[in-house]
Amino acid sequence: MNRLSFLIGRICQGILALFAIATLNFFLIRAAPGDPAAVMAGEAGAVDEKFLQVVRLQYGLDLPILQQWWIYISGIARLDLGYSYRQQASVASLILERLPATLVLTICAFVFSLVVGVTLGVLAARKPGSLTDRLIGFLALIFYAAPMYWLALMAVLIFSIRLGWLPAFGYQSIGADYHGLEALLDRMRHLVLPTLALSFFYVAIYTRMTRANMIAMSQMAFVKTARAKGAGETRIQLRHVLRNALLPVVTLAGLQAGNMVGGAIMTETVFAWPGVGRLMFDALMQRDYSLLLGAFLITAALAIIFNIITDIIYTLVDPRIAL
Amino acid sequence: MDRRAFLKLAATASGTAVLSGVPLMAAAQAKGGVLNVVVQPEPPGIMIGIFQNVPSQMVGGNIFEGLLRFDADLKPHPLLAESWESAADGMSHSFKLKENVLWHDGKPFTSEDVVFSLDKMLRETHPRVRNFLTAVESITADGPYKVDFKMKHPFAPFIQSFEVGSMPMLPKHLYEGTDYAGNPVNSAPIGTGPLKFAEWQKGSFLKLVANEQYHEEGLPSIEAVYFHVIPDGASRATAYETGKVDVLPGGSVEYFDIERLSQLPNTEITTKGWEFQGSQCFLWLNNTSKWVSDKRVRQALMFALDREAMRDIAFFGYAKVAPSPWNSSTKYYTEDIRQYPRDVEKAKELLKEAGYDGSPIRLLPLPYGETWQRLAEIARENLSEAGINVEFTATDVAGWNQRLGDKDYDIAFSYMSQYGDPALGVARLYTTSNIIKGSPWNNVSAFSNADLDALFDAGAREVDEEKRARIYQDAQALIAEEVPLAWLFEMIWPTIHRANIKNLISSAVGLNDSLGRARIE
Amino acid sequence: MTRPNLLHKMFSRADVWLATLVLLVIVALAVAAPLIYPKGPWAMGGRPFLGPAGDLRFPLGTDTNGRNILAGLIWGGRVSLVIGLVSTAVAVSIGVLIGAVAGYAGGRVDAALMRFTEIFQVVPGFALALVLVAVLQPSAGSIVLAIGVVSWPPVTRLVRAEFLSLRSRDFVYAAQLQGQSSLRIMFRQILPNVASPIIVMGSLMVATAILLESSLSFLGLGDPNRMSWGFMVGASRTVLRQAWWMATFPGLAIAVTVLALNVLGEALNDALGSQSGKR
Repeated sequence: MNRLSFLIGRICQGILALFAIATLNFFLIRAAPGDPAAVMAGEAGAVDEKFLQVVRLQYGLDLPILQQWWIYISGIARLDLGYSYRQQASVASLILERLPATLVLTICAFVFSLVVGVTLGVLAARKPGSLTDRLIGFLALIFYAAPMYWLALMAVLIFSIRLGWLPAFGYQSIGADYHGLEALLDRMRHLVLPTLALSFFYVAIYTRMTRANMIAMSQMAFVKTARAKGAGETRIQLRHVLRNALLPVVTLAGLQAGNMVGGAIMTETVFAWPGVGRLMFDALMQRDYSLLLGAFLITAALAIIFNIITDIIYTLVDPRIAL
Repeated sequence: MDRRAFLKLAATASGTAVLSGVPLMAAAQAKGGVLNVVVQPEPPGIMIGIFQNVPSQMVGGNIFEGLLRFDADLKPHPLLAESWESAADGMSHSFKLKENVLWHDGKPFTSEDVVFSLDKMLRETHPRVRNFLTAVESITADGPYKVDFKMKHPFAPFIQSFEVGSMPMLPKHLYEGTDYAGNPVNSAPIGTGPLKFAEWQKGSFLKLVANEQYHEEGLPSIEAVYFHVIPDGASRATAYETGKVDVLPGGSVEYFDIERLSQLPNTEITTKGWEFQGSQCFLWLNNTSKWVSDKRVRQALMFALDREAMRDIAFFGYAKVAPSPWNSSTKYYTEDIRQYPRDVEKAKELLKEAGYDGSPIRLLPLPYGETWQRLAEIARENLSEAGINVEFTATDVAGWNQRLGDKDYDIAFSYMSQYGDPALGVARLYTTSNIIKGSPWNNVSAFSNADLDALFDAGAREVDEEKRARIYQDAQALIAEEVPLAWLFEMIWPTIHRANIKNLISSAVGLNDSLGRARIE
Repeated sequence: MTRPNLLHKMFSRADVWLATLVLLVIVALAVAAPLIYPKGPWAMGGRPFLGPAGDLRFPLGTDTNGRNILAGLIWGGRVSLVIGLVSTAVAVSIGVLIGAVAGYAGGRVDAALMRFTEIFQVVPGFALALVLVAVLQPSAGSIVLAIGVVSWPPVTRLVRAEFLSLRSRDFVYAAQLQGQSSLRIMFRQILPNVASPIIVMGSLMVATAILLESSLSFLGLGDPNRMSWGFMVGASRTVLRQAWWMATFPGLAIAVTVLALNVLGEALNDALGSQSGKR
């Protein structure tokens, strides 16, 4: 029961946060330059007084600000994120269309960075101070310090332009009429560079954290006990040290998943990946504010959902959380 | 085009040579083939009576037709009208319609459709038509195949407005008495053109197929056209390289990709098909702002700008430095006016005379992407070399619209269509009556000069070609002296296509009405 | 720990020396930019797309507009450093203020402020910064504000935790008994004791802020009147095939600067022996 109430608490907290972000959004739209009605009218391609009146009425822009706010919030509760005049479609439908691509990319990068980060961390922790450790440490430092978009461009330069191994952009070959397995392989080839680019930074974090935890754990009493009992070193490393060292890493990864969605804006832009991030960038370029802020809201919602999922997994994995 | 009575003979004759030559040859060719064209961005709708933006025109202009078609010299040719005549005083015009023209749903096209389209529907849905029709007293049908226009006063470029993008003919039997914008026919439009609507998969492609009942013998010779929606510039270039698309319309790939693509085998590049739009890029100069209101400062700006460098660097050579505020495709264009070759010393001198003290001058770049950003960066550099302290104002499209509308700027980039005739696309940038707050598409410079107003006014009503030419040459000379705005480039949007596609562009609006006449060899 | 001792401990490491040297060079070049390239970073001195080492006047090549990449790097360093420092100062100020009030007041005020902080922590920071700059229009001011707004929560958590533990110490009671105002106690008595972890965190935040600024500029949301490293990489994106050097050098400059700042920040952290939550 305790776990359940904890989770309910977390979900309520998440909803509260969303509510706050939606409110922020509402005021940001109004902070954007120009009369919102004129902006919308301009996007629709006609600025005359008659049209302005229609837009004002339609969006309740002549109502008191609090009432407008309530209309906006209750619209969001019904998943009505507004209308993009530039794209002639509802914001929700535009985002929904792009969501799968973003999820595929984020999940791939999430898994990849966790697996590679932990592996490198374990390798580095085996003999602190060794050449392997230093090499991995240096690599992690570079990945941590270099801007993600720059690493992405460098990857394109090397793997697409110089070597010609991987496609530089898009999510499938244009014009190639692939089916079945071929189509899948084609998609996977397109996924490689974006996944790498989005992962670099997180690989660095997870590597360093795993390494630090592994080293800290191997000093712990229970590990020493196991060793005294004569358990094999590999077994000790895997069964005792890694298992315990991993928990905080996974927690961090869960918290970072939300940020990864934010990072996807950059990756999707560089690789012309047709996800929500790219949509957000395009909206930004065209200053399609209703679309931009709608996509922002969805990004934030995804981050919150990832956090809650992390909490759920955490409560299931770690008995100490049973408050 | 002279306004002699009854041009039937001349028009039909030249029409056969330039336009109708195709079917004769095509008849000997094997028919068939599919055209794959890029459309960028995806149009919001293709009913061009309602949607007038560029991508809508490109698709819809092949479904619908105007009464006339125009060649690269902007000479009219028969289309839905087989002949037309204008009174010598310009106070009346009458069109004889082609018989046996059918709408895509099989109903006959008659004078009733013309009257309905112009007098009822387009008046409401098409702002530019409203403008054309201000000079019109009445539009009446005289039998099923004749339409008469009575004018309040002569409007010289009247005939020119019967192009498909400006005045598409719409089916009365489907639209009369309906809510035009909400009519379900809009999503599967019915026109008279050589291609008819087949399918639209949003976000992917739009398909038109051959109209088997088309009113010109032997046309169309292709089976279908696919318009592909590919949202990324680099992907569009790749789509051409990999053979998925055969035609890259102007503006669909980045300027720096054009050179590489045009070198590909079986590829042709053409800059034709933009004569009617004839866009010119220029700098708005705010004649109400402190320093720019001084003629000497405006002239200094012209002298300071390195337009050759801008052309080469920002447009990779694909632009033409404009010797006149008129585009060379716009009527009565002349280079015999004051010219402004780059001369930094002269610019400095003029600025000194004007007493310019180095206070900041705000520059609004056009927020349409990288090319325009680079262009503005070059301009800023050019101007600062002449000692002008330029500051960028970062804006988005909405902010840009608003600032220009409110005249809250010093200098600003823009480009606008001239529609081939000074009365259609040029006068609006200069006349005092067009200084209207709230829109970025009128006399945004707020330049006001009674002599120039008089010239534009006389030019629009003058029906004598020679007199009209003299009026507009005077206007150009006056503008070149006063520099109400800084004319920079004639825009060039090259079309890249496979060399085995013939007759792809056969009019002054290019792909917008030519696709149904193309053939694949 | 005395100051000489601290420095001694830090500079016993070779990487710290190197990082310091690198930063000093970058700062020196940034300061001297008007002397080295008086025409500024926008001057179009050469042929466009000139490769590196082709012309001695342009050792790192030129960009699409024929501008000197090296001049851009040197001038761009000013923007990166200044925006990094100022926005960190903004973030630290917000963070300290909220954290101090929450930690010192405790109870409901603390709970409310922490809820507020959590909301900012859960929003993807980059996305929020992007939206803020877009809506406020890009300028140095809006960028600093946006980076500040998305970066303060960790500072708040740190300061709050320290204040929570320090507020029940004897010296605080003593000050309260003397009748000092809460504000005075918070900022004169407690804050100095929290200074070192804040400095460590701040030094790492400068690096993050530089990254964030460069990302915004990369996407075209930089101040259009100031050349910056992120802008340079952004401008190279579409011409990557033609001009690899346009992307490579400015990115390298960012990476090296951020790396050096991180090395210093961490060395400072180790030397101070504080438990400040790095990352």
